[in-house]
Amino acid sequence: MEKLRIALVGNPNSGKTTLFNELTGANQTVGNWPGVTVEKKEGVLKGHKDVIIADLPGIYSLSPYTLEEVVSRKYIIDEKPDAIINIVDATNIERNLYLTTQAMELGIPVVIALNMMDRVEKSADKIDINALSKKMGCKVVGISALKKTGIKELCEIAIDLAKNAEGQEAIKFSPETEEVITKIENLLSEDVDARIRRWLAIKNFENDKEVAAQTREMLEIIKAYEEKMDDDGESIITDERYTAITTILKDCYQKEKKKMTTSDKIDRIVTNRILALPIFVLIMIGVYFVTVTTIGTIVTDFTNDVLVGEWIQAPISAGLESIGCADWLNGLLVDGIIGGVGAVIGFIPQMIILFFFLAILEDIGYMARVAFIMDRIFRKFGMSGKSFIPMLIGTGCGIPGIMASRTIENQRDRRMSIMTVTFMPCGAKLPIIALIAGAVFNGTWWVAPLAYFIGIAAVVITGIMLKKTRLFAGEAAPFIIELPAYHIPIGRNIGRSIFDRTWAFAKKAFTVILITSVLIWFLTSFGVEGGFHMVEDVSESMLYNIGNAVAFIFAPLGFDQWQSVAATVTGLAAKENIVGTFGVLTSIGDADVATEMVDNVDVAGLAPIAAIFGSKLAAMSFMIFNLLCAPCFAAMSTIGAEMRSKKWTAFAIAYECGFAYLISLIVYQVGRLVQGYGFGVGSVFGIAGIVFLVFMLVRKPSKGVKIETAANAA
Amino acid sequence: MPLYVAPIGEKLTIAKVKGKEETVRFLGNLGFVSGADIEVVSESGGNMIVNVKGSRIAIGKDMAKRIYI
Repeated sequence: MEKLRIALVGNPNSGKTTLFNELTGANQTVGNWPGVTVEKKEGVLKGHKDVIIADLPGIYSLSPYTLEEVVSRKYIIDEKPDAIINIVDATNIERNLYLTTQAMELGIPVVIALNMMDRVEKSADKIDINALSKKMGCKVVGISALKKTGIKELCEIAIDLAKNAEGQEAIKFSPETEEVITKIENLLSEDVDARIRRWLAIKNFENDKEVAAQTREMLEIIKAYEEKMDDDGESIITDERYTAITTILKDCYQKEKKKMTTSDKIDRIVTNRILALPIFVLIMIGVYFVTVTTIGTIVTDFTNDVLVGEWIQAPISAGLESIGCADWLNGLLVDGIIGGVGAVIGFIPQMIILFFFLAILEDIGYMARVAFIMDRIFRKFGMSGKSFIPMLIGTGCGIPGIMASRTIENQRDRRMSIMTVTFMPCGAKLPIIALIAGAVFNGTWWVAPLAYFIGIAAVVITGIMLKKTRLFAGEAAPFIIELPAYHIPIGRNIGRSIFDRTWAFAKKAFTVILITSVLIWFLTSFGVEGGFHMVEDVSESMLYNIGNAVAFIFAPLGFDQWQSVAATVTGLAAKENIVGTFGVLTSIGDADVATEMVDNVDVAGLAPIAAIFGSKLAAMSFMIFNLLCAPCFAAMSTIGAEMRSKKWTAFAIAYECGFAYLISLIVYQVGRLVQGYGFGVGSVFGIAGIVFLVFMLVRKPSKGVKIETAANAA
Repeated sequence: MPLYVAPIGEKLTIAKVKGKEETVRFLGNLGFVSGADIEVVSESGGNMIVNVKGSRIAIGKDMAKRIYI
């Protein structure tokens, strides 16, 4: 038997994905944030093996201007589903029905799922569903996807419509416009399927880029009518649609005499021109205070010391020794694999806490407001406020941060965001900052804020610089975002959001990080001088040879000692490896001891590490380079996945490394000049670096490609 | 007058949406059409949050100046 296909169509954030999950039992991520679904997904209707449900991306209209609209329209026109479930947010019925008027023109039976009826019933608004159904000329079912009411009835109606395939009567416009559309319809080729004749006529009238192919006769009719109405075809139709909706709703919808809604009241305060930023800063300080200090410290220490250290590492090591396992295998398993992956797993609890808070802020609807608040600031250096969320998440871990860039629709803005997210100091970079602050700067307080400042400055400078190049030229896309009403956080959504983000991170820990941990263990444990053999002392290892061989590259930055180069290399596997590597490579002799010293700000104990650096300036330069250069392998592979282009991935990583090198060079060389070391070859490069940077910042912007259309903005 | 100078909390009506064809169409799809009721909820540096056609939308200043009330 032929399978029935039913498409879910609706506005962004109208609850399509929640309904899809309910219908199919799937577990797609839901967010209180428009644009969560970017691609279409298909699933089998629960209890009906022969019915396929397609979840299409959220769209405001079926005009082919945004990627989501194209995907949705293509699906409906080309795949011809047997029925359409049009999900309409009942709390926002007027605007939602605009899409309905378009969906009803495609000749496919439509049933309106009036979602969030539970909220309408609670308010003083009144919707007469029967009258609405009669006026619209299609079935209407009141449901609540969240409370799971009305869904069974909706399914029955949708299946019934799909089986009978009777087509769909469209909403009628004013008699004058109808007359013109009928005229165009009659001029269409006879091959055109009767079901889509009206749709095609309207598209020709609107001059739709993708399907319009007017004959001369049609053009004359259209032009005459446009002149009569003193408007273009598309505006006339848009107007007709809204007029039709207003007429229909007059008799079946009563809106509460508008008092201020709760969301309005909250928005007056949290998006207030003066209070918005302070409120946001306070919330974030609160979130980070809990995540990084109190609860965060407790769970991180537990995972690192007890779970990984005592419960996993120690017994396995002892067990392997007792069965007389070869040293190298013991080393590979305990130090290489468990040590490497364990260090990463240690971050998971802290990340779960951070993601918990971010998920709540997202689910109640605050994050969408944050994008609005930050847009004013980000726009000054050519980025959209939407780029802020990825950066915020990136301070926890770059991987989910990079992935959060998906909600940015404009391609250039998204690429820029992916490239800059990892400039922000993530959780794994904090030990580096603590190491330099503790070992070299006697635990001074200002090193950590400086690191965040450097991260932000790197983002800003990159934004300004790259916007002037041909690749990124053009205004940031105009800012438009629909703000969801505030609601109480929903446990299910929060849980799923935390799980998705943490899982993305954990998956990398067991793949990319596992492989690189083994590779680095191999490089530190084996030497090639005097034949290939296992070494006790790292200074005989291959890492030493590699460090020495490439150290000259870092000489202009002030850290050409093989240890710091080796630490930078191990940092590519996971940034928190850097402290451990220094521990192993100095007289401290142990990675864990060094980590503990950093935690306790043991300045005296860390002296051997401080001694590696020639000066405070060199240490600072080392820190800056490691904060800004290519992130860990896991984050790099995420950049690759999100860029979906080898060329762009390579560009992003090369840019990050180049930028890190440039800034470190300037800091070290100019710093030496200021400290009175005299003018040398290095100073020339340092000054040349500044000149280059300033030139890139103030030069005239390249014209570049035409700015992507406003339609692409939202 | 353009929307970005509109007072907060007052019910207004959109007179006209100007700008490039795509911009007008795009704003139209979101409910910004002449004759629609609009109310400014909040304003910050020219960016605004408005209620239009029953939905709440945040728009940047460059869009707000194309909407006349």
